[in-house]
Amino acid sequence: MLAAVISLGSLGCFAAILLAMAARRFAVKVDPRQAALLDVLAGANCGACGYPGCSAYARALVAGTARPDLCRPGGPETLARIATILDIEVAPGEPQIAVVRCRGDRQQSRAKYDYQGLEDCRAAQKLAFGPKTCPGGCLGLGSCVQHCPFGALSINEQGLAEVDRDRCTGCGLCVSVCPRQVLALAPAGSHIHVQCNSPDAGRKVKNYCHVGCIGCRLCIKTAPECFVMEGFLAKVNYGHQKPTAMADAMERCPHHCIQDLAEPGEAAPHSPSVEERTS
Amino acid sequence: MKRRSFPGGTHPPQHKSATADTPSEICPLPPELVIPLAQHVGAPAVACVNAGQRVGRGQVVGKPNGFVSVPVHASTSGLVVAVESRPHPCGAELPAVILQPDGDDVWAEEYLTQSFHVLTTETMLERIREAGVVGMGGAAFPTHVKLDPPHGKTIDTAIVNAVECEPWVTADRRVLLEQRDKVLTGLEVLQKISGARQMWIGLEDNQTDVAALLAPHCKQRGVGIAIMPAKYPQGAERQIIYAITGRRVPTRGLPMDVGVLVQNVGTVAALTDAVTRARPLIERMVTISGPDVARPRNLRVRIGTPVAHLLKHCGLREEAAKVLLGGPMMGTAQHTLAVPVLRGTSGVLAFRRQDITAPAVGSCLRCGRCVAACPMHLLPTFIADYARRDALDLAERFAARNCIECGSCSFVCPAGIPLVQSIRYAKGAILARRRST
Amino acid sequence: MIHLLLILVGAVLVNNFVLARFLGLCPFLGVSKKVETALGMGMAVTFVMVVASACTWLLQYLVLTPFDLEYLQTIAFILVIATLVQMVEMIVRKSSPVLYQSLGIFLPLITTNCAVLGLAVLNIQQGYSFVESLVFAFGAAAGFTLALVLYAGLRERLTLCPVPDAFRGTSIELITAGLLALAFMGFAGLVPG
Repeated sequence: MLAAVISLGSLGCFAAILLAMAARRFAVKVDPRQAALLDVLAGANCGACGYPGCSAYARALVAGTARPDLCRPGGPETLARIATILDIEVAPGEPQIAVVRCRGDRQQSRAKYDYQGLEDCRAAQKLAFGPKTCPGGCLGLGSCVQHCPFGALSINEQGLAEVDRDRCTGCGLCVSVCPRQVLALAPAGSHIHVQCNSPDAGRKVKNYCHVGCIGCRLCIKTAPECFVMEGFLAKVNYGHQKPTAMADAMERCPHHCIQDLAEPGEAAPHSPSVEERTS
Repeated sequence: MKRRSFPGGTHPPQHKSATADTPSEICPLPPELVIPLAQHVGAPAVACVNAGQRVGRGQVVGKPNGFVSVPVHASTSGLVVAVESRPHPCGAELPAVILQPDGDDVWAEEYLTQSFHVLTTETMLERIREAGVVGMGGAAFPTHVKLDPPHGKTIDTAIVNAVECEPWVTADRRVLLEQRDKVLTGLEVLQKISGARQMWIGLEDNQTDVAALLAPHCKQRGVGIAIMPAKYPQGAERQIIYAITGRRVPTRGLPMDVGVLVQNVGTVAALTDAVTRARPLIERMVTISGPDVARPRNLRVRIGTPVAHLLKHCGLREEAAKVLLGGPMMGTAQHTLAVPVLRGTSGVLAFRRQDITAPAVGSCLRCGRCVAACPMHLLPTFIADYARRDALDLAERFAARNCIECGSCSFVCPAGIPLVQSIRYAKGAILARRRST
Repeated sequence: MIHLLLILVGAVLVNNFVLARFLGLCPFLGVSKKVETALGMGMAVTFVMVVASACTWLLQYLVLTPFDLEYLQTIAFILVIATLVQMVEMIVRKSSPVLYQSLGIFLPLITTNCAVLGLAVLNIQQGYSFVESLVFAFGAAAGFTLALVLYAGLRERLTLCPVPDAFRGTSIELITAGLLALAFMGFAGLVPG
């Protein structure tokens, strides 16, 4: 009994001394903030920050080579905590959400050709720039759905991508995947969006889509400063929103491409499809 | 006569009898020619004519832009209506010279016949470039670049590629039969420029009649005829080189790295015109075929003739559901018939709705047929799987970039999986990622 | 010489630590998602096993046997192995950050790994000499690495397979591991005795 206690005790002490010496001799300084940051980050390893995983982002943060507001799934809370750990001041950015900037479903917009092949928008885009005549319209083959780490996207029956506002974290992965940039990030607080992405002039748009922005500028006349024109396409000026005026503009938009996404259920008035009308 | 082949490959139904033995015809001039400035690999030509200008047949309408570029010529005499963007077979709208033929079809200048024996290599290369000769098998790579290998690379074997492994297409066969003398002169030009000691004409074993006709002429000139089993993709550059010489082109290398030069038959015939008569490449043999074409045949078509005009000339049984430029295996489907015939267009194929049943996509059975069929020794099923999951690193590790996109894997897949389509996507994505980082 | 070779082959294939003795299943299931990490883990285990078997052999025959303390074998071995692994981790971290990046994260996992302890105990039980125990350790580690890399390769492919919903995840992975073990049973009888 005594021999056991003594021998094991001495062995333990020997090991302890050895380890203590080794720890001193081979000490490596690691920033404790890195571990703290890793706890704070969302932990989804989604890669939306541009780094391979949360730990890589944490390391970049400690090294000071990364901006603190890149963890989109974490949102403002994470940003605030990162700021506390790194002892820096940041203005909390508004949380963002993905918006599908297209309403041109199978009924409403014209197809350029019949696509057969890989069910992937990026592959379809390679064949004569996509099977839709509109160069900016949603192809509806679901590359964004496949890449959304949060299951917030789906393709509806009419072949358009849809965002689940409750699930979307605004990470922006879908925006980078979409070959036509149909998806865009917008402030999560805004409800009214221009749901069109066609860069073409009105005459051309009318030719292939019933619900495309024709660049008539009626929205800008109704609600000045709330909308801006980029080429032939109206866009919401998210920094300057007046709900009543914008609701007015929404009513007056001749092609119904300004939509209030907070109130689903109100379907666009049915109009004959492009094929019916032009043939 | 040698009889060799390459490992892998498939046997798609040939469908060549529809056009193989019908003599070619001259296609009448269309009311409007669309001559794209980008018809070759490399920098597009720069337009040097304006709307309203009258041009003669063979006049330069687009000047080359850099070394890997060739001029573009007016295919007939007439009036330049516009220089604007028009649908291009690649799917985009690209700048083109729109020409309204005046019907006179007069050459812009007189061309003299001159024996190539008195010309220096430099002069011949210059003439080939001036004539805008590009690879007419489909890739449309400028021929003068191919014939002028960088210092240190020598060519010892030249192969004339008459292997039309694509079903339906018989344009090369008709060129060999109808323009035999041009091809044979072109062979001599090719030999003189490249300095190749060995010359071969590669044919598939369904063209033995052509081989028999060529044999005495080839023997006289010391040109070998290589007969290879009819197998797709026998006409692909690496595959024909392996079949004839037994050499393997390195993964990222070019045929010139193993001392080989491969030229399409049509290109060789065009070389003769370019060198001995200084005439530009403004016409080519095009196979108009497919189950929807009422009178399938080969046509000698002016470059820039819209596809709609060709199909109208040959007649359609019903409205075409799918029109391909090139062969059915590697050709590109078109969404409009306004696209013109380019220097690299070997065929126009029209299909009806019932001819293009797309198989329902099933699950991979691991049968390995795609692996056996791949002429590049790849594992198509794995690469396609990785591509579908965006595992680009894995796709690259499985050598996705070596894929020649011949489509054998998709053709043999019993589950109808779009394999080559996925691999092509992966290739593009890998390249895009490489460019961005 | 033949004798040592037999020990080696026996440890790698016939009595594979993971697939025949069922030791070290934790890292086998845990660190086998990717071939690269599996290989890193295998390297770490190889290093630790060889060093640990040397240390424990010396401990057994220089300390425990002379002082009649064989009954302390288990606890003493654990102590030595844990100390050893900790020290190795520190040294690697200091001397080679690159190696630590690829290997270091696995070291704490091995600290209390049953495969390492099992190896030390087996060395004594089989009555191996010092050289024999080193060969046995290397063979065992090589067998572990082999099993791990094979399994990781299978799992990489498994992610691409259309697996029925009920079998998704751990269940199909365990079935795969079982099939791999079955395959290794084919080596039984390769080495006589």
